[in-house]
Amino acid sequence: MLAQTFEQAGFSTVMVTMMPFWAEKMGTPRTLGVEVPFGHPLGMPGDSEMQMMIIRAALSLLQDASGPGAARDVEVQWPRPSDEARKDWQPLEASPIIKMMREQAQARAEDRRRET
Amino acid sequence: MPVDSFKYLPRSIAAYYQTLRVDRVDPIPWTALSKPLRECRFGLVTTAGIYDREREPPFDAEREKRQPIWGDPTYRRIRRDVMQSQIAASHLHINTRDILADVNIVLPVRRFVALEEQGVIGSLASVNYSFMGYQPNTNEWRERYAPEVVALMKDEAIDAVLLTPA
Repeated sequence: MLAQTFEQAGFSTVMVTMMPFWAEKMGTPRTLGVEVPFGHPLGMPGDSEMQMMIIRAALSLLQDASGPGAARDVEVQWPRPSDEARKDWQPLEASPIIKMMREQAQARAEDRRRET
Repeated sequence: MPVDSFKYLPRSIAAYYQTLRVDRVDPIPWTALSKPLRECRFGLVTTAGIYDREREPPFDAEREKRQPIWGDPTYRRIRRDVMQSQIAASHLHINTRDILADVNIVLPVRRFVALEEQGVIGSLASVNYSFMGYQPNTNEWRERYAPEVVALMKDEAIDAVLLTPA
């Protein structure tokens, strides 16, 4: 919705996202897909070369795209092991909605135990 | 190899996203790029929940803790000459450690200043924008805060916007 809102307002937008699946589903004007952990759309901290590589790919897409729904991927070698990276981007403390859902699931499990 | 959108997600969340139905925007809005990149004025917009601690308050994470199905729909302004030490983040859904080490991974102000100096782009806006990406209900964002940011960017004569959801 972010992209559609700004595009509709008269700006040419390009979105860099780790979830191109989602962007495609929603209908995003120009999408650059990157396989990176959440919170890192433009790469690793301190790695200006990686950041510039992704930014330049986004600018090329912005320049080349000829119509809505333009999408490209850019290949990034993530320097941390996948298992580590999968945990690493997550907050140290579970978010309020995740906590709430866990509590609800626990309550349902307890209800079921009581019923049996 | 195409990008795997679910590579870094826990399995339960990936399954949820894969099955979630969304209404595709139809037609997809389109604003053709009206000039070469080297003449474009760029604005940067992220949803990483960052803010300039010396100028503005954090996003309201306390209310979200009390009300988990609410996310702060407001925005924060980040100047192009912001110092890394001024950057703070209030986003309860990601670990912001790497952003606090280098803001350019979500809002690449330094990189765009460099591109401006190299003549690759026309210029970078003096002010760029940050939202907090967790928005279970987008009404207020759509009706009030997004239009405010749009108006501010129009005042700055922005042509193109780099969007970096976090």
